[in-house]
Amino acid sequence: MMNSLNIEEIYKILPQRFPFVMIDRVTELEPRKKVVAVKNVSYNEEFFSGHFPNNPVMPGVLIIEAMAQASIILFCSGKDTCADKKLIYYLGAVKARFMHPVVPGDQLIITVEPLKIIARAAIVKAKVQVLDKEVASAEISLVAK
Amino acid sequence: MPGIDAEIKELIATIIEKDASQIDPEARFIEDLGVDSMMALEFLAAIEKKYKIVIPEERLPEFITLNATIKISKEYLDNKK
Repeated sequence: MMNSLNIEEIYKILPQRFPFVMIDRVTELEPRKKVVAVKNVSYNEEFFSGHFPNNPVMPGVLIIEAMAQASIILFCSGKDTCADKKLIYYLGAVKARFMHPVVPGDQLIITVEPLKIIARAAIVKAKVQVLDKEVASAEISLVAK
Repeated sequence: MPGIDAEIKELIATIIEKDASQIDPEARFIEDLGVDSMMALEFLAAIEKKYKIVIPEERLPEFITLNATIKISKEYLDNKK
């Protein structure tokens, strides 16, 4: 089963709001098995003005945030109760690697697959690609409360 | 099943970032070893992955000590045979 989600549908799942929504679109959704999401990185992002002046690089923590938000979508997929419950998600552990810098104009393709999902928590593996090149990967544990 | 006790101890030691020799098999994870519920889930996931078994999440609250974890894991390893 393949599905996609636009930003309005993403807003129903994610508790994050502007300026902290790090997913623009979900292009592939296999409930509880796989999520492929897109984050377009624009030079207009505010963080670029300070990170770093004259050398814009997307902060790694925000790439982790993008992977974590895709993980929330994976966690909630196949459950129609996530949006109603107003859950808040906490990171329990993150093991991340960053292979290449992300710069304005890049389109992040974030792929998330579960290692283990239980009722209130999940451990997932995530990777981020730009033009087929892997720029980051992580193993993420999240708890929903 | 020789070796399994040591393997599980090693898996858990890696997750909680302690030396395996520091883990008393009867020490309580939360109270004595500073483990949180997320780490316990990591134990479960790591054990499932290593032995290609599935342990239902209902058993997770029983992961109280190393010995308890080994005992539960062995139940599912025995079932697999």
